[in-house]
Amino acid sequence: MNHLLNKTRGDKVIWTLVVLLAMMSLLVVYSSTGSLAYKMYRGNTEVYLFKQVVFIAIGLMLIYFAHLINYTLFSRIAQVLFWITVPLLLYTLFFGVKLNEGSRWIRLPIINLTFQTSDLAKLALFMYLSRMLSKKQNIIKDFKTGFVPVIIPIVITCLLIAPANLSTALLTGATSMMLLFIGRVRMKHLFLTGLVAMIPVLLLILSAVIQHNSNGIKAKAENRSRLTARVNTWVNRVETFMYGGNSQDDEDNYQVNQAKIAIAKGGIVGLGPGNSEQRNFLPHPYSDFIYAIIIEEYGIVGGAVVMFVYLIFLFRSIQLFRKCPYAFGAFLALALSFTLVIQAMANMAVNVNLFPVTGVTLPLLSMGGSSFLFTCVAIGLILSVSRYVEKSELKPAVQSSPENELS
Amino acid sequence: MEVKRDILWRVYLCFIGMVVLSAAVLGRALYIQNAEGEYWRSKSDSLHTRIINLEADRGTIFSSDGSMLSTSIPYFNIYIDFGAEGLREKNGKRFRENIDSLSLSLSGLFADRSTSEYKKLLQAGFRKKDRYFLLKKNIDFSQYKQLRQFPLVRQGRNKSGVIAEVKSKRLNPFGLLANRTIGLARENAQNVGLERTYDSLLRGATGKKLVRFIAGGVAVPVEGYEIEPENGRDLVTTLDVNIQDIAENALMKMMVQNEAVNGTCIVMEVATGKIKAIANLGKRKEGEYWEDLNYAIRASEPGSTFKLATMLAVLEDKKAHIGNHVNLENGVWKVGRRTVYDSERHKRTEVTLQQAFELSSNVGMAKLAMNYYAKNPMQYINHLRKLKLHEGSGIDLVGETRPVIKTPKSKTWSATSLPWMSFGYEVLVSPLQTLMLYNAVANNGTMMQPYLVEEIQKDGLKLIENQPKIMVEKIASESTLSQLRTCLEGVVKNGTGKSLQSPFYSIAGKTGTALVANGNRGYSDHIYQSSFAGYFPAENPKYSCIVVIVNKPHAPVYYGGSVAGPVFREVADKLFALQAQQIPVKTALLPPQDSTSFYFSGNSSELRTILGKMKLPYRDSVGNADWASVQMDTNFRTVLHHKPIAGKIIPDLRGMGLRDALYVLEEMKIKVVAKGTGKVKVQSIDAGKPVTKDLSITLELN
Repeated sequence: MNHLLNKTRGDKVIWTLVVLLAMMSLLVVYSSTGSLAYKMYRGNTEVYLFKQVVFIAIGLMLIYFAHLINYTLFSRIAQVLFWITVPLLLYTLFFGVKLNEGSRWIRLPIINLTFQTSDLAKLALFMYLSRMLSKKQNIIKDFKTGFVPVIIPIVITCLLIAPANLSTALLTGATSMMLLFIGRVRMKHLFLTGLVAMIPVLLLILSAVIQHNSNGIKAKAENRSRLTARVNTWVNRVETFMYGGNSQDDEDNYQVNQAKIAIAKGGIVGLGPGNSEQRNFLPHPYSDFIYAIIIEEYGIVGGAVVMFVYLIFLFRSIQLFRKCPYAFGAFLALALSFTLVIQAMANMAVNVNLFPVTGVTLPLLSMGGSSFLFTCVAIGLILSVSRYVEKSELKPAVQSSPENELS
Repeated sequence: MEVKRDILWRVYLCFIGMVVLSAAVLGRALYIQNAEGEYWRSKSDSLHTRIINLEADRGTIFSSDGSMLSTSIPYFNIYIDFGAEGLREKNGKRFRENIDSLSLSLSGLFADRSTSEYKKLLQAGFRKKDRYFLLKKNIDFSQYKQLRQFPLVRQGRNKSGVIAEVKSKRLNPFGLLANRTIGLARENAQNVGLERTYDSLLRGATGKKLVRFIAGGVAVPVEGYEIEPENGRDLVTTLDVNIQDIAENALMKMMVQNEAVNGTCIVMEVATGKIKAIANLGKRKEGEYWEDLNYAIRASEPGSTFKLATMLAVLEDKKAHIGNHVNLENGVWKVGRRTVYDSERHKRTEVTLQQAFELSSNVGMAKLAMNYYAKNPMQYINHLRKLKLHEGSGIDLVGETRPVIKTPKSKTWSATSLPWMSFGYEVLVSPLQTLMLYNAVANNGTMMQPYLVEEIQKDGLKLIENQPKIMVEKIASESTLSQLRTCLEGVVKNGTGKSLQSPFYSIAGKTGTALVANGNRGYSDHIYQSSFAGYFPAENPKYSCIVVIVNKPHAPVYYGGSVAGPVFREVADKLFALQAQQIPVKTALLPPQDSTSFYFSGNSSELRTILGKMKLPYRDSVGNADWASVQMDTNFRTVLHHKPIAGKIIPDLRGMGLRDALYVLEEMKIKVVAKGTGKVKVQSIDAGKPVTKDLSITLELN
């Protein structure tokens, strides 16, 4: 154990935060899986507790091994990984496993585990973006040689994710825009991209308005091809969010109302661990709506603590960026920590009904699954950067290749 | 460093954006908690909780000897929701896979439809997507248990769509016995009998419970929001199943034989007024008999049994003595414009009052009434009132009709009312009332209130105990009573009740034969009501009994002595026999000892020594085991068997001596309580049960 601890490097604060979140996830997942366990295992809730323990163990192992790798290697890997994800996303879109509504999953052969390809694609995209941004810093203001090569991968990934999982696509797009902004891309180019991206979003809002005004005569999508099947869901969700939804049994509205009840019941300090009542009524209390359960059980105080943990995490990553001598590492730490925190913010915003309902999990806190593992890999990469920063602080004499250095 | 600083302010700007966003999230959460908090918290209750009624169990009606006369049992109505998701998914795959085996099982269990008929039925329901398809009504618990194991059904409600609704039904284990009196508790009609009289007690109080619905449609109770249902009270009636059985059967036999219209038989305990049996039979359209109405408490013209009241009045007023003479005028006597006939023709003139009563002479009674009360009918009527004949029995049973005792002020009073009343016409009293009078005579003049419910219990504990109640302390003087008893005994010894005589005990009673008016057809249908009221044993009366049978029109046999009498006689005989049986018999026979079957066990080496000493040839199959048993095998050879005694399982101790048994059990740290001497015959914990800590076993030795 000591040996392992000695070999463990990287930012101690980030490590602590990760372990803290993992421990919290154990508590909350155990408490909120009652309803699922009842259906699947006749009330044997320990099944999910055990699963979560296993996930956390695997996750921590992934972090550990990832942080041991020299992060500069990831620059190369990113390039390869990105071009692998493109056919993978295409495959998922047409032949993937359909869970819930969207075709977002593929089943891995042999180990028989379903995973969401968008998780891999996101990781690959942000790694690739970090590489591109660091490489093109000198020519970034140029449209043809600087902007276009950077924006193309973003567009490809978002377009491929969108049909099955629009919210993730939008979130990925927004995060990418932010990274481009940080990466000193011209504001003019950014606005242009934003304008183009706004078109489908505006269309969506417009159709939601039309549908609402046509008062219930829901133009049900007759051609239920795989790609268009979900358009209707999006329109409905946006409509629900904008107008609060008038039908009681509407699924999304139900979720939102249940989440609100959970939050309202929580009060300042909450009902106490394991005392949630709404877990029985909230769909997916262990993943999409875990933040509402956290507030119900631990109150607004608990909610604020979780929020604070993510913000500290982000802050520490920014500190890394300041110390990191190499552009790729700096961008990598920033990109991965920002996506993680943005995803967390998105989940919480959905839970408090600031955003319309999307199927975004709370990183590290939601019950395990492929996204949990990919989050762990991302954290491993950040810690790898941090490990290198520590090392270079100890030995400032070490020279670096001038090519990647920010001047 | 220029570039780095340029990037850094952008990074911090984004970080601030995140902080702002998180502040917005927390602010929103606080807004939901405080501004909208009340609304959402109240909504949570209305969304998932519901108050449901908890039905109380209806009380049970017991007989005085503890048999259940009426109790509630659950039964089930089975419905199928053909719209159930599990049933319809994959285009009804589950349904199609199971329909054949399910149809076969259903047909096997209920045997009311063939397999193919069931299959057609189910398919029709599935096609129509009937969400509440009635499969089978009123199945009992054992059938329900079997049904639950059937293919498809065992997959649960969500997958099979099978819904079972529990209802509770009243069950009368004794069927016909006192059915009308015990009563009926019906869902859509008014209760009758005791079920109605004591409905408020039997019903109990419905409880309420707040439940919260959780995953899988399961309702869990919310703590602190439950009002327990109060289960109905149990009734212990005075009815005795054996006596009821005797009365019901005796009555049934006669009614079937005579094709009678309806009849009743009541048995009352003389000293207390407890109704020990009450049978009411009426002929149904289909010709069979059923307890369809409580004839025992419906007033009718009683006929000759009423003559006892007339006699009582005359004797009590000291107008005459039973030895005084009266002229019977050959059984025909004109009173005003009407003529009194004695129902059994005779050529007698001068007889004593007692003889007139024994012969059941209408003329004799009419003459007494006319001679002594013509000037003041109220004096006679006051006697009837003192006997409570105008008030009804006051028994705890709904459905008693009001008796009618006319007075000279009544609109229908005529010159012949008094003489006709004297032999039981122009008055309406119920058989039960008549019985009360006879019971009072038997009970040294004390008239008891008849009652049916002895005790009201709650959870087996006595709540209310009804004590016998006296209605009239003394209906007549001692001398009157003894004269009346003489007369009643005389009826059986010398008069119309001769056929009831028994060599073993004596009966006192009075026959009655009355022409019954049949609606507006009057008396022209020649419907006779035959009755017999009395008590037994005459010297020391224990039970009083009345039998009233309304015969079919123009019935060939209708005299009270030959229709109601035999019923009375049978009831009395059997009751007398029942009493005799209750003397405990001590000569319990022990089963003969069979010397060829023996079984004893103990330490194997000791057993070998014994068998060797006794020079008994035996086969040894023990091996190295410590314990063995000796028994005879099928070829009558003595065999020494190995007796398995293992550490953690209670051994079979039978046949062991106490010393060996104690040794074995103490080794296992089991406490032993032994009774008797000899070998172990019975052990309180069966062999094969696991040994637990602090176990105690009781051994019975023979």
